[in-house]
Amino acid sequence: MQTLNKLTKRILAICLFALIATVTKAQETTTVVDSSLLNRVSTLEQQASYIKPRESHLMAVGLLTFGYVSNKTTVTYNGTSSVSKSNSLGDADHFEFSPMFLWRHGKKFLMEFEPSFSADGVGVNWAVASYYATPGLILRGGYLVLPFGTYNKRLAAGWINKLASDPEGIADASDFGVEAEGGIQAGTTKWSYDFALSNGMQLQPDGTTQFIGITDNNKNKLFTGRIGFLPLANSSIEVGASLMTGNVGDANLKINSATATLWALDLNVVENITPFQLNIKGQYSEAKVGNATYTDPNDPTHDYTFDNHTKTGYIMAALRPAFSQNDVVKNFELAARYGNYTTPANSLWGTKDNSLAVGLNYWMNWRTVVRFSYEAIKGTSTVSQNLGGNPGEITKSNSAYIQFCIEL
Amino acid sequence: MKPINNKKLTILSILVVVVGSMMILLNSCTASQKISMKSGAQLWAENCQRCHNTPSPSTFSPEQWETIGMHMQSRALLTDTERDKIVDFLKSAN
Ligand code: HEC
Repeated sequence: MQTLNKLTKRILAICLFALIATVTKAQETTTVVDSSLLNRVSTLEQQASYIKPRESHLMAVGLLTFGYVSNKTTVTYNGTSSVSKSNSLGDADHFEFSPMFLWRHGKKFLMEFEPSFSADGVGVNWAVASYYATPGLILRGGYLVLPFGTYNKRLAAGWINKLASDPEGIADASDFGVEAEGGIQAGTTKWSYDFALSNGMQLQPDGTTQFIGITDNNKNKLFTGRIGFLPLANSSIEVGASLMTGNVGDANLKINSATATLWALDLNVVENITPFQLNIKGQYSEAKVGNATYTDPNDPTHDYTFDNHTKTGYIMAALRPAFSQNDVVKNFELAARYGNYTTPANSLWGTKDNSLAVGLNYWMNWRTVVRFSYEAIKGTSTVSQNLGGNPGEITKSNSAYIQFCIEL
Repeated sequence: MKPINNKKLTILSILVVVVGSMMILLNSCTASQKISMKSGAQLWAENCQRCHNTPSPSTFSPEQWETIGMHMQSRALLTDTERDKIVDFLKSAN
């Protein structure tokens, strides 16, 4: 019994020793790991804090549109026709390489700058600072894409567009100015507004208008505004109405009292009807420049006038089995667009055009697309004979495009 | 102002009828929900496709989504609630 007790005591003593040794050892190891980990964590913290962007954030994105176009144009007048053919790698009318820079300071300020390299050389698409003033109000200033219709500001970019070409007659409208915009919820519907005041356009001696840049040529400013309405709770339909109006006369020239008034209606429908996604987009606009006397460039002693009224519209539909189970099929999209463009009769550029474009797109991802498009445009000249024109002359232009567009 | 000609009137009325009937048709099958009742994911799915294909949340970092959220609020004229919910969703699903 005594031997057993002794043995038990010894075993107990050994166990106790082993336990203490293990605990001490364990504590030692823990302490060692802790301090090295802590050091590494604090170094990482320092490094992270060193590069943490705080309020200031800069990001760069950008887009490329590159393609090939082959064109055949037939001009017919008084029964005789002439044919011309051309093709261009790069597609001179649509090539574009535009990086875009976005700087954000906190959640109140955003600056956007998009320089662009195209067939016209190096230019700037927009350069704007925005201030997110209060909910529902963004104030902007700089070189703006004016809020007239939806094509220029929302749909023109190659990687957004559904066809390789642009609809005819949608003029670029970018100008130096200030802008106020925002979105407002009204029950289950939504409204949006976008108003701008800018330097404006100048009427050219031939009756066309042109944006004039950073120094205004008269005291008036151009007003451009759009109201958008989304009647459905799921935002799938939007209709918009725009107005642009201002004096386009030059204070120093004989055409000094002309006013230009333009209005537009736009429509956007995007419906998911499983497995398809249906897109319908359209815009119709009219531009009217008040009466003015123009100078014949071929004979400067000869003045003439005409009803300076331009109408243009397009309607585009695209269908994509975007929700198909098949990984290849879901990337294809079919698109078609009908366009109409009527420029002032008896002006130097008078024409009545109809166009039809069809296309097949393959979306490599949400912002990269390869597209095949074909467009036929038929134009009937309305240039007056007095100006050396051939009224009734018919121009048929057929173009086939292969285009690659990416945004990164 | 010149009187509106017949052709234009026909096109306009066709447009009004088509859009009108589409609205009624679609309204009857979409449960009308206010923005405040919708999730960020739903607002993302409904709004971003209005102009281009819907970007996947993994395309950008949370910090970049914050910037893009402000940028797209200006393009799409989203309300602040919509923007915040969509950005929160994109950041969390990222
Ligand atoms: C009203 C049209 C419109 C809607 C709606 C829209 N976008 Fe865009 N988005 C654009 C345009 C246009 C561009 C091209 C850049 C530009 O014009 O500023 C763009 C560009 C982008 C880019 C590229 C980076 C950048 O900031 O330019 C991302 C990412 C993007 N959109 C995400 C979104 C998300 C997310 C939504 C949904 C909340 C959305 N967009 C809704 C029009 C729209």
